[in-house]
Amino acid sequence: MENDQLTELWEMQANDSSNFNPKDIITKAKKQRNSQYISITVMSLTVVVLFIYTFYYAFNHWNTFNLGLTLMITSLTFRIILEFYSLYRKEKQLISMAQKSYFAYLKKYYKARQIINFAVTPICIAVYIFGFYLLLPYFKDYFSKGFYTYILISGIFSLIGVSAIIIKSIIKEKRFLKQLLS
Amino acid sequence: MITEQQFTNIYNLHASKVHRLCLGYASGDNEIAKEWCQEAFIKVWKYRKSFKGKSSIETWIFRIAVNVCLGDLRKTKKNITVNDGLLPNNNNDDDNDDDNDDDNDNNESNIKKMYHCIDKLNEQNRALILLELENIPQTTIAETVGIAHGTLRTRLSRIRKSLLKCIKNGK
Repeated sequence: MENDQLTELWEMQANDSSNFNPKDIITKAKKQRNSQYISITVMSLTVVVLFIYTFYYAFNHWNTFNLGLTLMITSLTFRIILEFYSLYRKEKQLISMAQKSYFAYLKKYYKARQIINFAVTPICIAVYIFGFYLLLPYFKDYFSKGFYTYILISGIFSLIGVSAIIIKSIIKEKRFLKQLLS
Repeated sequence: MITEQQFTNIYNLHASKVHRLCLGYASGDNEIAKEWCQEAFIKVWKYRKSFKGKSSIETWIFRIAVNVCLGDLRKTKKNITVNDGLLPNNNNDDDNDDDNDDDNDNNESNIKKMYHCIDKLNEQNRALILLELENIPQTTIAETVGIAHGTLRTRLSRIRKSLLKCIKNGK
């Protein structure tokens, strides 16, 4: 088999590009863009509301309830903003870098992700749990025993669910990093 | 900035090449290749304002496509299953003889072997040979991958030799 035959063999494949309609691609791209804008708007509004609440209300009536609530929301907001930022940066590099540089960037990116996964995320989860723990005495006083138990159990299950999702993505990223480094 | 009409033209011109490039990265898995191809063109449209014309539009599109394939977190399949739809057409005319069947079987087997061998290459060499097989000009390949033109020529000849050896010997 000579050199040219390699190209011949490659071209012999049926051309099944199953072409999408370019208009559908534009529609999908616009949808993706819009959902990104919506997410950023929701996040920004949450941060704004949190700031307004903290500065104009919570600081005047400061108690452990407000502290707990603030800890929960800030840890969650911080982690989500970090996630958006790292995804945004990765996408920017994807469209501007040559393969060689992007490959090197991906290695750095997933190494940095390990720091986020193993240091930043656990801290955020710990702060979130601590905030939730501070709220519990208030819930116990204000709500019925049944509803309090419901909040407690659903809170624990939500945390287990979120942790499972995070662990799954950590495993995936670790495997990919190993693949990149091999 | 790229208009809808220009995007349609760009898509019609490059989609099949991008799709086959993705196929090589996806070890012949057509579903994944279609997804990557679509994702690459979605990014082309989304970031069309970022295209400043420093390189050709072709280079920019191939860069995006290669990087989309490179960055997918999915585990590479150990067993390569080339979709039957991609293999040479088996519907022979009535007057075709057994020799044609043998040729088709041989080509099918070689295409499967080729995917298997491409899969063994490192990420950069895989990009180089896939772009070369799509007859992309070498200057565009060099810019897409980010290596010097001289290096590219030497590298391509080495990759071709090792691919041929692998297809023949299965190693």
